[in-house]
Amino acid sequence: MSSAVRGKLPWPLRMSYDKQDTLLKLFVLSIAAVLSFSTRLFSVLRFESVIHEFDPYFNYRTTRFLTEEGFYSFHNWFDDRAWYPLGRIIGGTIYPGLMVTSATLYHVLHFFNITIDIRNVCVFLAPLFSSLTTLVTYHLTKELKDVSSGLVAAAMIAAVPGYISRSVAGSYDNEGIAIFCMLLTYLLWIKAVKTGSLFWGAMCALAYFYMVSSWGGYVFLINLIPLHVLALMATGRFSHRIYVAYSAVYSLGTLLSMQISFVGFQPVQSSEHMAALGVFGLCQIHSFIDYLRAKLSKEYFEILFRTMALFAGTAITGVGAVLMASGKIAPWTGRFYSLLDPSYAKNNIPIIASVSEHQPTTWSSFYFDLQMLVFMFPVGLYYCFCRLTDANIFIIIYGITSIYFAGVMVRLMLVLAPVMCILSGIGVSGILSTYMKNLDISKVQKKTKKAENYPIKNEVASVVIMMMSLFLITYTFHCTWVTSEAYSSPSIVLSARGGDGSRIIFDDFREAYYWLRHNTPEDAKVMSWWDYGYQITAMANRTILVDNNTWNNTHISRVGQAMASSEEHAYEIMRELDVNYVLVIFGGLTGYSSDDINKFLWMVRIGGSTEKGEHIKEHDYYTPAGEFRVDREGSPTLLNCLMYKMCYYRFGSVYTEGGKPTGYDRVRNAEIGNKDFELDVLEEAYTTEHWLVRIYKVKDLENRGI
Amino acid sequence: MNRVAYELVVFGALLASCCTANQGAIGGDLVNSAVNRQIDLTSQLAKFTTTITLENAGKTATTSFVLAIDPTLRDRLSFIGATTKDDDAEKLSVTQTTVPGRTTDVLFRVDLRKALGAGQSTTVTVDESYTHAQTPFPAQITQAEDQLVLFKGNLHFYSPYKTVSETTTVKLASNKIESHTKTKAKVEDSSIVYGPFENVEPFSQEKLQVHYENNTPFLAVTSLLRVIEVSHWGNIAVEETYDVRHSGARLKGSFSRYDYQRQLDGRSSVKSFKTILPAAARDVYYRDEIGNISTSNLNEQDDAVELELRPRFPLFGGWKTHYYIGYNLPSYEYLYNSGDDYALHMRFVDHVYDDQVIDDITVKVILPEGSKNVDLSVPFPVDRHPDELHFTYLDTFGRPVVIAHKSNLVEQHIQEFTLKYSFQKLLLLQEPLLVVFAFYILFFTVIVYVRLDFAISKDEASESRMRMQGLLDQLQASQDKRTSLYQRYEDAIAKFKSTKDLAGFTGSRKKIDAEHKDLTTAIKELQGKLKLESTDMAEKVGELQKLDVNLKEQIVLSITLAEKVVAGKMGKQQYVDNEKVYSAKREDIMGKTETLLSSL
Repeated sequence: MSSAVRGKLPWPLRMSYDKQDTLLKLFVLSIAAVLSFSTRLFSVLRFESVIHEFDPYFNYRTTRFLTEEGFYSFHNWFDDRAWYPLGRIIGGTIYPGLMVTSATLYHVLHFFNITIDIRNVCVFLAPLFSSLTTLVTYHLTKELKDVSSGLVAAAMIAAVPGYISRSVAGSYDNEGIAIFCMLLTYLLWIKAVKTGSLFWGAMCALAYFYMVSSWGGYVFLINLIPLHVLALMATGRFSHRIYVAYSAVYSLGTLLSMQISFVGFQPVQSSEHMAALGVFGLCQIHSFIDYLRAKLSKEYFEILFRTMALFAGTAITGVGAVLMASGKIAPWTGRFYSLLDPSYAKNNIPIIASVSEHQPTTWSSFYFDLQMLVFMFPVGLYYCFCRLTDANIFIIIYGITSIYFAGVMVRLMLVLAPVMCILSGIGVSGILSTYMKNLDISKVQKKTKKAENYPIKNEVASVVIMMMSLFLITYTFHCTWVTSEAYSSPSIVLSARGGDGSRIIFDDFREAYYWLRHNTPEDAKVMSWWDYGYQITAMANRTILVDNNTWNNTHISRVGQAMASSEEHAYEIMRELDVNYVLVIFGGLTGYSSDDINKFLWMVRIGGSTEKGEHIKEHDYYTPAGEFRVDREGSPTLLNCLMYKMCYYRFGSVYTEGGKPTGYDRVRNAEIGNKDFELDVLEEAYTTEHWLVRIYKVKDLENRGI
Repeated sequence: MNRVAYELVVFGALLASCCTANQGAIGGDLVNSAVNRQIDLTSQLAKFTTTITLENAGKTATTSFVLAIDPTLRDRLSFIGATTKDDDAEKLSVTQTTVPGRTTDVLFRVDLRKALGAGQSTTVTVDESYTHAQTPFPAQITQAEDQLVLFKGNLHFYSPYKTVSETTTVKLASNKIESHTKTKAKVEDSSIVYGPFENVEPFSQEKLQVHYENNTPFLAVTSLLRVIEVSHWGNIAVEETYDVRHSGARLKGSFSRYDYQRQLDGRSSVKSFKTILPAAARDVYYRDEIGNISTSNLNEQDDAVELELRPRFPLFGGWKTHYYIGYNLPSYEYLYNSGDDYALHMRFVDHVYDDQVIDDITVKVILPEGSKNVDLSVPFPVDRHPDELHFTYLDTFGRPVVIAHKSNLVEQHIQEFTLKYSFQKLLLLQEPLLVVFAFYILFFTVIVYVRLDFAISKDEASESRMRMQGLLDQLQASQDKRTSLYQRYEDAIAKFKSTKDLAGFTGSRKKIDAEHKDLTTAIKELQGKLKLESTDMAEKVGELQKLDVNLKEQIVLSITLAEKVVAGKMGKQQYVDNEKVYSAKREDIMGKTETLLSSL
């Protein structure tokens, strides 16, 4: 560019190339960060600033407790509102990172007299952290490849649906900040590996500590890093840099992670953490051997190596066996097995299988959540293999392991999404930068360079670049569409389209919870299926029997038995559990399909899975033909169980749809079989406007007869 | 029960405060010559309208008379006021008083406009409102049943004076009367007329009891917190937090949604109610602890904003709910000032629903930071709590909060208070300046951080790169100037050709030559400096210099040519041909210079 010409350019181009570069980077990154924040606000704009789903309500409640009562009472909190009569030690059974993060944010804001409500802090925390994630992704990809890949990856992760699904505004869950922590740990790990400096190793350990404090998924991380080290050893890339980095990260990280009371001594006891310990030991041995090899002659070294290998092998096996036998090393847990073998949980533990997010991922949901990343991922891998470095090996391992885990469990799609973005970013940027060079813009040069042996270079480049742009454009449209359609409904407020196209809002959940909050005794115990436990404690502020933290299978099973039994038998169980109110979700009037009748078979299965519930057998609830039906054909056991009666009490006289008889269930599309019955041991306490939530009061024992 | 005790305490406190100031005598010479009482029981309130014809039977004129409150109802008294019809329904002042000998009675002294001379008479209308005077009986009903209530009062006008003749009309909410006191009673549809009674002695009491159906909403605001936040930037934000309870007969047994939806029963339940907000209210919200309540309608009318509030669930007897509403008002309608003195003129309590009952209200007024000399005046007695400080956005030393509390309010209490305070207008600038300053500090820190090098070790490569960048920038500038000189040469030649002024041409040529020489030496110096950083770059600059020498030669040739043609030593055609060659060469060199420069 001539200097005379440059003088006439608009101001951004008049700057030196360095400055233009910085400006462009800042511009792209800030747009990506803003986009990742704002694309998550659909639900806030469409509904209101409200917490979504189930688990976030628990997190919200604990956060509120933390901000109000302080860290020490939070740490020592014994919650008598949940798992009545057992209670739950909240401080020792949660990952406190999320709550501490929002409480810190809250207190900092309030120190500056920015009086923002704690609920709003909670609602907007996940979008805020996803903005930070885009920045971390940029830096991580920059470390792996170059700046341009970093920018593409940052732009991609800003909108990838697989990550948005767990981090929309209001989805106040551990995963919202955990992905940020995870990528930050990776970034610092790569830095530590590249520099071999203790400083970056220690920073990485701190980031790992934050990760451990916020999500149980840290186990993936503490297995991935050793795996990387192992791979480096196997490829002969082990060096002092890696020795320093891993030793620092492992020792500091493990010590720090043991400070989280929920984690406790697991890092040195449970099998999930053993790989890290093993690789740590291997590191020491490897470098010791390297040292010896440098000092000894070859023959002596051979002899020494063999003796020591034999000795060490025996010792490790012996100690391992003793610890396993004495129970110091935790046996393989169910969740671990279900990771390796997708069918394990389904066959053995019904409660794990009953959670929809524990189901294996379908092929379509890969495309739905990742779109073009699915086929750009191998391209990125190709570029990584082309120029193999220590850092690239890490991202290759991360990509391949997480694609396996995402296939096992739907919720682990979240771990896969960032690496998909990083590798696709590398791929896309690789393709674009290759072909951009071939694109001739100046017409003068085109004439002179015709002699080359690459005849339609410019045309091919144009086509490739146009294709890539098209892919990227469809990616943005797809992401926005998925976010707006699939991931932005708060599930606590339902909406439907009315006949005239207007929006009808079903706010029945909050109606019922608010009724419970203000019109039942302060110490009332509410029995419901565990899905609604967190919501009831958070919104209704009442004691519940079971909740979404499904740690006690027998207790949940007892509730399942009560729901599946006949009225008299259920009454015994309810008296035993000291229940005052029973809450059921019923969608028969509105057509809300994830109601308790549709979940009922899980209650039967879980109820029948323990000793006390042996009389409950799943096949009793099917028709002779093996169908689950609520109409006249349905099994008599089903038609007389407590759940059925509570859902359909007085429903038999309601007209739901034109041209259909009374008591027509709009979810099951059937006229109910048992219409006219009275409840003996319960009385209807409250039913919401659209009958979505029905609350029954357990009657007291009758006065002794005269 | 607890509540009543509490009210008594509050009342007692009020009483004690009035005792010393308002001690007086009854003045036994007055006579109630005719009394007409209307007891309105059509809502949850008991509204008494008593028209008294007062006669001075004594010998001296009097300026005031005393009203006594019926002992069965005195704990329930919410409001009392008196008007006279003598001169256009004027309000009379009513103050609480005590009289020696009647310490248990609650007495009020009414000051008359004009002294009532001996033998004269006047007519006074007294309005009283009693809350929670109708008690549900039975106290529990099922969803299908109607609500029956019991009202207990005094059959006679409870007065310190003798009453010559009196009648009492009780208006009921319905014509379904279970039982009533039969003394001289006449039932007319939904009202009962008692009397006339003749010559009733002072302070006489006789039981009046009515048991009847009343399905009007028995809704009570058990506590109300009204927060008014004044901003001098033109806005007043109001937020009211309500605890509402259905104080009627409690619901017995189950609530059936099916029956409720068929609208056959639940007649005493409250489904929704209307709150009237000021006409200027904007950005109205209706929420509770768990979020927005989606069931509300807003109707904007000319003189008010009507807000139809539907609680999340219908309120049956004994059920309660909690919510808050808020809105913004433009401050010019409520805030007045003269210089630095301000006066806020707003309602102490606003409309919640018709025939409202508010058991307790706390009003908090948050004034702008730096307000002083606060003075609150309310038309009825309130408890003033100590002021607090409130901290919100951009506050440094806190906003003063004025807090006032009152119990047992009804519609008649919707009156305006005046809050006077002083505020220096300059303080308005404090917060914007704070923001400006904060940003200044932020940018300054960033500038310091970016411009200064805090590294302990030096990075030679980047230092050299930065130095080189600086040198190249200078080089660029010098080269730009040098290139422009050639244009000036050409201009000078053209001018010379047309004017044929040799002296002028030589002059301007010398000037340009001098400038060219300066620039060339400057570039040479830069070249020397660049050599320290990168020999490669220095070589390129050397090439640039060579090209410039070539160019200079060309232009000198061109000048000689021009001088020749002006002197007539050369034909015109020949000049044009030669000049073409030269200028083509110059173009060529210029092009080379440009490519060289862009590669730097």
